[in-house]
Amino acid sequence: MFKKLIEESTAKSPWLFHINSGSCNGCDIELVAVLTPRYDVERLGFKLAGSPRQADIVVVTGPVTRQSLDRVLSAISQVPEPRCIVTMGSCPQSGNVFKGSYSVCAPLSKYVHVDVDIAGCAPKPEAIIDGLVKATEILKEKRGQM
Amino acid sequence: MTVFLTGLQYLGYILIFPGFLFCFFCGLLLTGIDRKLVARMQKRVGPPLLQPFYDFFKLCGKETIVPAAASRTTFLVAPLVGFAALVVVQLFIPICGFSAFTGMADIIVILYLLLIPALAAILGASASGSPYAGVGLSREMVTVIACELPLVLVLLAVAKAVGSALGTGLCFSVSEIARYQVENGSLITRPSMIPAALAFALIIPGETGSHPFDTAEAETEICEGMHAEYSGAPLAIFKLTHAVKLLTVTSLFVALFLGGIGTGIAAVDGVIVFALCVIVTALFVSFVHAVTARLKIEQVFKYYWTVVSGLALVSLVLAWYGL
Repeated sequence: MFKKLIEESTAKSPWLFHINSGSCNGCDIELVAVLTPRYDVERLGFKLAGSPRQADIVVVTGPVTRQSLDRVLSAISQVPEPRCIVTMGSCPQSGNVFKGSYSVCAPLSKYVHVDVDIAGCAPKPEAIIDGLVKATEILKEKRGQM
Repeated sequence: MTVFLTGLQYLGYILIFPGFLFCFFCGLLLTGIDRKLVARMQKRVGPPLLQPFYDFFKLCGKETIVPAAASRTTFLVAPLVGFAALVVVQLFIPICGFSAFTGMADIIVILYLLLIPALAAILGASASGSPYAGVGLSREMVTVIACELPLVLVLLAVAKAVGSALGTGLCFSVSEIARYQVENGSLITRPSMIPAALAFALIIPGETGSHPFDTAEAETEICEGMHAEYSGAPLAIFKLTHAVKLLTVTSLFVALFLGGIGTGIAAVDGVIVFALCVIVTALFVSFVHAVTARLKIEQVFKYYWTVVSGLALVSLVLAWYGL
């Protein structure tokens, strides 16, 4: 019963940690906009965590520049299990307009397992909420397998 | 046999009411109400009322990471010590005329025990070996010192007011103060106690580390400060301590200033006390949270040692002249 309780709670209280890996700030603004009164994802239990140690979902924006790659990977490795990695915007998935540049390492999925991709440049708030809710379902599944 | 029964009774006090279980449910519920109220004041839908429970159980199910630089035992034991101290404080605070432990000078015990959660958090933070925690703990120390002076002055004023009415000089017993209020009406109706009550109300957000006095846990600038390295179950206990502290401080406020409100039926009075705690939280924690932004640490210190201490001092002087 206790295990079930923890599993249910995991899906209802996902805390976000946001990493900017050289993003143009468009997606970052959109992510914060999702927390504002109009969309208010806190009603689903989402909260921005200040430290990667307290996060459940890591949201990565930006095309993963060579400078930021090590930092992104080290921040992700500090997140305790069960964790979920979400890429936001087209940049971390394909490199977007920066594709082919010597200083860009996208896609992120070359380096870590990515659970959810939210496409768009920048994605719509509805798309972001949808992606985050999908991430909570994966989170619950991962907790069940632990 | 009687020793065994008394032992069982005290175990019941500590584990069920007004100890661990009561603190757990009411503390987390009060925090849930606070979060919902703040959200409604900001025109948001807000998290469900039971959100702090979900947070707690989720954190229990997460992996606990102990940093390589941390001193393991202190890092893991510190949150437990802080929480245990708070549960003990709750045993001393009378709820509708009932307190598990009473004594001659339990105000002083409460004063010291209220410090321990902050000290435990500081200890855990310094054991974690993180520079962010270092900045956080230095700020927490300043906040504790800032709150301590006005808190002592408020308690002195209350002790003097009740003590001179009873003819015993200073009355340092919370249960005595509660009994006095049942017979003579709430202390807040006396003119000398109004500034003290206001001062105590202004201390509540500082004591509980709520906005705008959450400089020590500034998540946007120093990664949650003292809790930067905490994850999993120890973090869950810190969050629980945070929630219970809200209950403890507001129920202390109710016991000191709003005592004597009730019908005489224990169950109804319990609900009334909790409702009063919710009202105090709504006015002085949620409302303040919704309308203010975080202060700088020197502003916190200056505010508490001038405005709030001044209010408490006025009350103390008035009580001394027997108003």
